[in-house]
Amino acid sequence: MYNSLTRIQNVFGFFTTVAFAVAAIIAASDFTAPRTPSSEIKMTNVQVVKGRPHYYSTKKEEYAIIKFSMDADLSSLFTWNTKQVFVYVTAEWPSAGTQNQTNSAVIWDSIITAPSSDHLANIGPATLKKLRRSAAGKATDPSRGLLSLKNQRPKYQITHPTGRIAKSADVALRLHYNVQPWVGLLTWDQGRDYGLWQAMKGGLTKAFSLPAVKAKDEGKKKKA
Amino acid sequence: MAEQLLDQARDLVDGQIDFEGQKLAEILTTVLLSVVGAIAFFVGFFLQDIALALKVGLAGTALTFLVIVPPWPFFNRHPVKWLPVGGGRTAGGAAAAHQNVVIDDKMFAQN
Repeated sequence: MYNSLTRIQNVFGFFTTVAFAVAAIIAASDFTAPRTPSSEIKMTNVQVVKGRPHYYSTKKEEYAIIKFSMDADLSSLFTWNTKQVFVYVTAEWPSAGTQNQTNSAVIWDSIITAPSSDHLANIGPATLKKLRRSAAGKATDPSRGLLSLKNQRPKYQITHPTGRIAKSADVALRLHYNVQPWVGLLTWDQGRDYGLWQAMKGGLTKAFSLPAVKAKDEGKKKKA
Repeated sequence: MAEQLLDQARDLVDGQIDFEGQKLAEILTTVLLSVVGAIAFFVGFFLQDIALALKVGLAGTALTFLVIVPPWPFFNRHPVKWLPVGGGRTAGGAAAAHQNVVIDDKMFAQN
């Protein structure tokens, strides 16, 4: 602390220590915020079609197109330390035969930004303006966690490595989330309660079976 | 004249403070930064605004730099009092009383 340079070094050195400590406390403060996510999800329509993985492929695969409706309340996930929440819906079904495996494929996803990270959202200027205005003057906006989807088309049509997915039984849709904080660890939806963080209520559809491949050419044949 | 100006500039950049001042600077750094960290967290936590916490923390740190780094007069209130050269009276004498100490080409006349 004898001259200015050593004082700069000392102050900056202790500043890094304090910054780390405060960051650690902020990360730990997440555990004081209860998480009570809940959702109702149901499959509304499903069909299986034949298609190609890419334009020049000679391989034909079966693709399942699963539409769903969902009412979810993830508002408790939005605290001051939440940067964004990644929400995704998977279709899960047991493997055929005796393999004792569960297949899981994402059919729909979405990124919900907190007002503090709106500027990071990958959207156009007009949409960004609208998004900013929706939370004007608010640092956190739990209402962003309220989702209501009616007969939502899937973002991704799913298949299986074998290329066969039609007539799969016991398929269920499940809602997942991934909380991405400003400071701290990523957390996913959990299967059981941990302290104030409760497991999701609902979030799983009844099991359904995929139909047979939709006969595309039937109409054409009749005409011919 | 130019040398004098240079000396002044060097003193300003060096910003040396006395021993008591160094102790005070050390304590002030620890206390100020810890308090700033605590305030930043609680402001952010109770107003639920992490950007505000960051701003408070950085502003407080800037303030701490401003308080600690320049050689403010309150860091120089206890200048070191050197003993007379050659033990003063005991070494006896007029001979020792007029030694010149040369440091960095500057003459320090002691008496």
